[in-house]
Amino acid sequence: MSYDADVIVVGGGLAGLSAAIQANREGLSTLVLERGEYSGAKNVSGGRMYVHALKELVNIEDAPFEKPITKETYVISCGTRRVTFSFSDPESRNSYSVLRAKFDPWLAKKAEEEGVIISYETLVSGAMRDNGITLRTNRGDLRAKIVIEADGVTAGVSRYLGLRNLSPDSLMLGVKEVIKPDVISDEGEAKVLVGFVDGLLGGAFSYVNKDTISLGATVKVNSLQSERVLARDLVELVREKLGIEGDILEYSAHLIPYYGYDKLPPVYAPNLLITGDAAGLLINDGFVIRGMDLAIGSGMIAGRAAKKILDQGDPTKTQVYEEMLNDSFVMKDMIIARRAFSLMNNERLFNAYPEILCSVLSRMFTVSGNRQRLLNVLIEEIKKRDLTLTETVKDLMEVL
Amino acid sequence: MDLLKRLSLNKYRVDRESHIKVNLDICRTCKEKPCIKVCPAGTYERSGDVIEVHYERCLECGAALVACPFDAISFKFPEGGVSFRYG
Repeated sequence: MSYDADVIVVGGGLAGLSAAIQANREGLSTLVLERGEYSGAKNVSGGRMYVHALKELVNIEDAPFEKPITKETYVISCGTRRVTFSFSDPESRNSYSVLRAKFDPWLAKKAEEEGVIISYETLVSGAMRDNGITLRTNRGDLRAKIVIEADGVTAGVSRYLGLRNLSPDSLMLGVKEVIKPDVISDEGEAKVLVGFVDGLLGGAFSYVNKDTISLGATVKVNSLQSERVLARDLVELVREKLGIEGDILEYSAHLIPYYGYDKLPPVYAPNLLITGDAAGLLINDGFVIRGMDLAIGSGMIAGRAAKKILDQGDPTKTQVYEEMLNDSFVMKDMIIARRAFSLMNNERLFNAYPEILCSVLSRMFTVSGNRQRLLNVLIEEIKKRDLTLTETVKDLMEVL
Repeated sequence: MDLLKRLSLNKYRVDRESHIKVNLDICRTCKEKPCIKVCPAGTYERSGDVIEVHYERCLECGAALVACPFDAISFKFPEGGVSFRYG
């Protein structure tokens, strides 16, 4: 039985295109299968990319970014009260707002210019291991020595091979609108909202684009299962909360991997390298939420690893990919974020702490002739929620 | 804006057959029907004891697939389906 390519990459998003560009540069015959009409047609992201990995991959001078993110705003909300914290750095060019249906076709074109073959509207509906991996597609069966899985958070190939089940407590649902406001701010502001709907574990975001705003809610799937708030109402609730008005241009949704380093699914199997969202690669350390740079980074490493594996003569022995990932920023940063990540997964962060913060500030800004020290107010409010100061400080230390 | 109006902003190429299948025997025994709560597109609607699937609305996020506690939903990505212009 012959092979259709050395490497078949499933998914023509950021991870898949990065993998294919790299594998192609290594001289491997490489084929990308993309189920959308174009790269990005099926992608939904919050809309912010940290660009260090992309710069390693390609020249970004003509990249279709929206705006450089130069202002970070945190909004901690409890009922009608809110605390806002902003940091502004007008010179920052470290991350940009992006719209994936514009960005991914640009990267796909770069890949195609280098000779990568992308087969669009090709849907993978099954996978079998047989001295390589055979993929069942709407264009017939395709067989490769190595498959690089870059098919996103639902990890179809892994599921078809029986390597993965999806669990609601390791996933968030993101629901998003792209809005054209009457007036758009010059500044590329990223806003994160913590604790926006009672009972739901999650938050919300908005990013300023060139002439639109990306706005969304992100909520743990298991908290949606048990609460009364419907997913279809989330983004409109956020819009009201943030007071954003304008024409809605698009409504979309996507699952977000929320595994953390300690619960990551395996990133390799015989003949299979798993990248990006499919590998559960996402970092939330309280300061930044990153997925796209990890997708690009892991994709590039998978492309290089494929060459090493094939040179060693046995495409079932794929562990070297994990070793290379562990040596790279991808896993090093995942490990640094592991403690903060477990806190980000904790109910206290979404419910108790916003309330404590709002209550403490509310009491400190109220003068009633019965003034207490800030520390005493803080301890009282912490105790009211069955927590201790030690637990609170310990949680804070996790992030630090 | 109401849900159907929001969905109508998207470009869809609807497949002839549904890419979502529900095992109605299992579905009938499920009281909570979390698929209704987690689907951002209103793809799942209660119809008596069971679920009616409006697969043409699907945003292909996969939430229903993970949220069904009884594995009663079989979900495959469609050949056509939704295309995003912004993403």
